[in-house]
Amino acid sequence: MSSNIFLLVLFDGLLAAIAAIGFAVISNPSRKAVFVSAFLAAVGHALRFFLIKSGLEISLATFVAASCIGLMSIFFAKMIHCPAEVFSFPSLLPMIPGLFAYRTILGLIRFMQNDDPVKSQEFLQNIFHNGFTTMFILLALVIGVSLPVLLFPKYSFKVTRKY
Amino acid sequence: MNSITETKTPTIHQIADLLTDVASELMTSGAHTMRIIQNISRMAETFGYYIDLSVFQLSIMMTITSKSDQSERITVIKKTRPLLLNFTFVSDLSSLSWDTYDKQLPFDEVKEKFHAIISQKKMSRWLVLFLVACANASFCALFKGDLHAVALVFIGTTAGFFVRQEMIKRHINHLVVFTTSAFVASLLSGLGYALHLGNTPEIALAASVLYLIPGVPLINSILDIIEGHILTGTARLVNATSLIVCIALGLFSAMLILGLEKL
Repeated sequence: MSSNIFLLVLFDGLLAAIAAIGFAVISNPSRKAVFVSAFLAAVGHALRFFLIKSGLEISLATFVAASCIGLMSIFFAKMIHCPAEVFSFPSLLPMIPGLFAYRTILGLIRFMQNDDPVKSQEFLQNIFHNGFTTMFILLALVIGVSLPVLLFPKYSFKVTRKY
Repeated sequence: MNSITETKTPTIHQIADLLTDVASELMTSGAHTMRIIQNISRMAETFGYYIDLSVFQLSIMMTITSKSDQSERITVIKKTRPLLLNFTFVSDLSSLSWDTYDKQLPFDEVKEKFHAIISQKKMSRWLVLFLVACANASFCALFKGDLHAVALVFIGTTAGFFVRQEMIKRHINHLVVFTTSAFVASLLSGLGYALHLGNTPEIALAASVLYLIPGVPLINSILDIIEGHILTGTARLVNATSLIVCIALGLFSAMLILGLEKL
């Protein structure tokens, strides 16, 4: 059982890394940054997967994973002289709550088209559930990843300085 | 008199032009507001000026004042181009601003370096296309889609992203681009339903449009709001949300054609 979950977490990390590479190249970063963001995404997403599996709620798990990415990204930023967000943002992209966002919009469309009051209530519930999940995951991602910038602002803006 | 080797001090207009160019390039490439202001202030300080900068979605406004002579002061408004993410620019321009500050680079050299940075070659579009398709396919696997679903998403994403690249090249409205490319991707990925491929066609359909999510603008918007640039942050948020609505519309029309009810 325990080795099974270990494999699952590893697999999750690997897939997240591939996803992060693909989503990163859309924003045309340097080659080094692509590899770093793949690594960070793997660690972050696997951590979130593990936390959710062990019973944590999704937005809280996202917050922990994002702050982990944020802290690690500061070290990498210092190492390769590159603003932290260049690789920390792409590594967050696999965790962006896209599916919840679409479900919210599709729910809105259904709610508008429907006249059955019982079904309408169900749709409303879904809209609110998906919408708030989207919002809270998004907030958790950004606040988590910008923790280092908020805590040590001077340091974070100096990473691209070479002297 | 040897006026050729003599380095001319740049006028306030030349400096303002360069700084607004850098700021607008940073905005277009997807830097968040705080970084833009920090970078530009740093460069201005090197040249002996200080600046006040407002960043909006479509324009930036800057007042530049000479440190030595308060009456030497101009205000410039510059249009920004629509968002075209490029993190190499963000990273290199950020480095350039520190270089300027630390090495006290002369104006002409900074200008030269700036133009060298923005004329860098981009990654091959076919490689990007392939990597994005792989990314979305592995995303489908993350949601526990089976092999059929993964293959369908790969095909759908390739087609959808190709359409997007072509439409962006032709400067078509962003909202139209997103709707169309979501429609193409989800229609192809939804074929699993029509052809009865695999056991998880709904996952293929759901994952097919995730590559379009405007993740960086969303993150930037929240970051701007946290840092107090509420107006810019809200503008970015509204922009990103309208893109998501467009994607959902594309997905919805594909579902209508395929005759699907639920996602």
